[in-house]
Amino acid sequence: MEHLGLSLALFGAALAAALAGIGSAIGIGVAGGAAAGVMTEDPNKFGSCLILQALPGTQGIYGLLIAFFVLNKLGLLGGAGAVALTWNQGLQILASCLPIAVVGWYSAIWQGKTSAASIQMISKKPEAMGKAIILPAMVETYAVLALLTSILMLMGVQVG
Amino acid sequence: MSYVYTVARLRGMENHILDSAFFSRLMDSAGIDDAVKALGETSYSQWISQAGSSFDKAIDSEILATCEELKSFVPDKELLDIFRLPYDFHNVKVLLKGLFKVRGGELEGRRYDLLSKLGTIDTEELTNAIETEEYGFLPYGLTDLIPQCWQVWEAAKSAQAVELVIDHQMFRAMLKVAEDLKMPEVVNWVKARIDAENLKSAVRLARMNYDPAKALPFFHDGGTIRADDVAKLLTEPQETWSRILSYTDIGSVLSALTEQNDMKAALSDVSKALDDYLLKVLESAKYSMDSPANVLLFMLTKEAEARNMRVALVCVAGGLDREFGRRLLK
Repeated sequence: MEHLGLSLALFGAALAAALAGIGSAIGIGVAGGAAAGVMTEDPNKFGSCLILQALPGTQGIYGLLIAFFVLNKLGLLGGAGAVALTWNQGLQILASCLPIAVVGWYSAIWQGKTSAASIQMISKKPEAMGKAIILPAMVETYAVLALLTSILMLMGVQVG
Repeated sequence: MSYVYTVARLRGMENHILDSAFFSRLMDSAGIDDAVKALGETSYSQWISQAGSSFDKAIDSEILATCEELKSFVPDKELLDIFRLPYDFHNVKVLLKGLFKVRGGELEGRRYDLLSKLGTIDTEELTNAIETEEYGFLPYGLTDLIPQCWQVWEAAKSAQAVELVIDHQMFRAMLKVAEDLKMPEVVNWVKARIDAENLKSAVRLARMNYDPAKALPFFHDGGTIRADDVAKLLTEPQETWSRILSYTDIGSVLSALTEQNDMKAALSDVSKALDDYLLKVLESAKYSMDSPANVLLFMLTKEAEARNMRVALVCVAGGLDREFGRRLLK
């Protein structure tokens, strides 16, 4: 039971990086399917498609950021050794990771679907690229809010 | 199965569909040479150069090539079968009618030139199967249907009665393929298609003052409106049909025609309104990035394009009234 706190905190970091990463991979996959379809007919649209396909990738980066934040807080990055954590502190860190883990996972999938729809839109109306970016970017708002929530919660957890 | 890639590719292909402005320009061509020149930059040009003056063949080749292209990337090939299956049944009608004539003593009765290559069954295989009476491998219930057609022919010697039997089976087969796909939008479209076909027949029969008591065999089962109910329409004045069918979506098509006092207009106008309705049934798929119904919608749009092409070329080549031709465009 001595290392339960540390284990819970690491589990939180793993969830943040893994769930948000899985969501991003699915989202990029969906958008990539649409991009491939459009580019089969018009390879010149590669640039526009690439931008839209990349949008759902940010959640994975946010998850990784929170995982780094947690590892840093635990003292696992500098080589100085892990700080001592109670199970209660470990649970607090795990809870802090959940917003970006869960919201990152779902929002990346839905952002991927919106990006796919936007890619289909620019296939017919290339001049609407600006609007096509804004639509999936709206979904990004909630991933950013979840990232902020996770950061603020982590900053509030006292360790060491 | 994901349709994201498929629908995105179709969106790209939709950019090559010829629009009404193009057909309007085509109609304004001074002669067939000008029209062929105007087609030079479209996907039809390759087929027209191969088929020469046979525009029908060129247009069929374009649709067939589109079907083959879609077959290479659509996850459920049966979606394309729904579109192609009516051509199989058309071919069965052509072959059987030819045989009826041959057995009746008309040695030149066979009309292979009327066979369409757009069906799912190879025309040569279908011809062999029907002429050698080996129907075992035929799909869509044709194995039982063809002997049944012969029985109907022997009993009534009526090609129309045989056609009705074939049409009934065609709609049953379309509905079965759609239901097996488990795609509600596609099932709804097939049902709407049956309704539209029934209403076209009803309008036609009403104009002929056909005896309502004998009309039931003309209507197909499987639509959202029961065949019995469509038959009962014939006992009522045509102006009231839209009110009677107000509980259905297709009723609104009839009410629009009634408002314009167009129910007595040319059958082609009623037919055009019902065909537009069929496209409208699938319209919601346009706003979906992964709806399989987009495949059907694309093929129907392509078919409408081919029909417009046929109308335009016939008008230009035959020197027909362009205004009349424009009314026929969809």
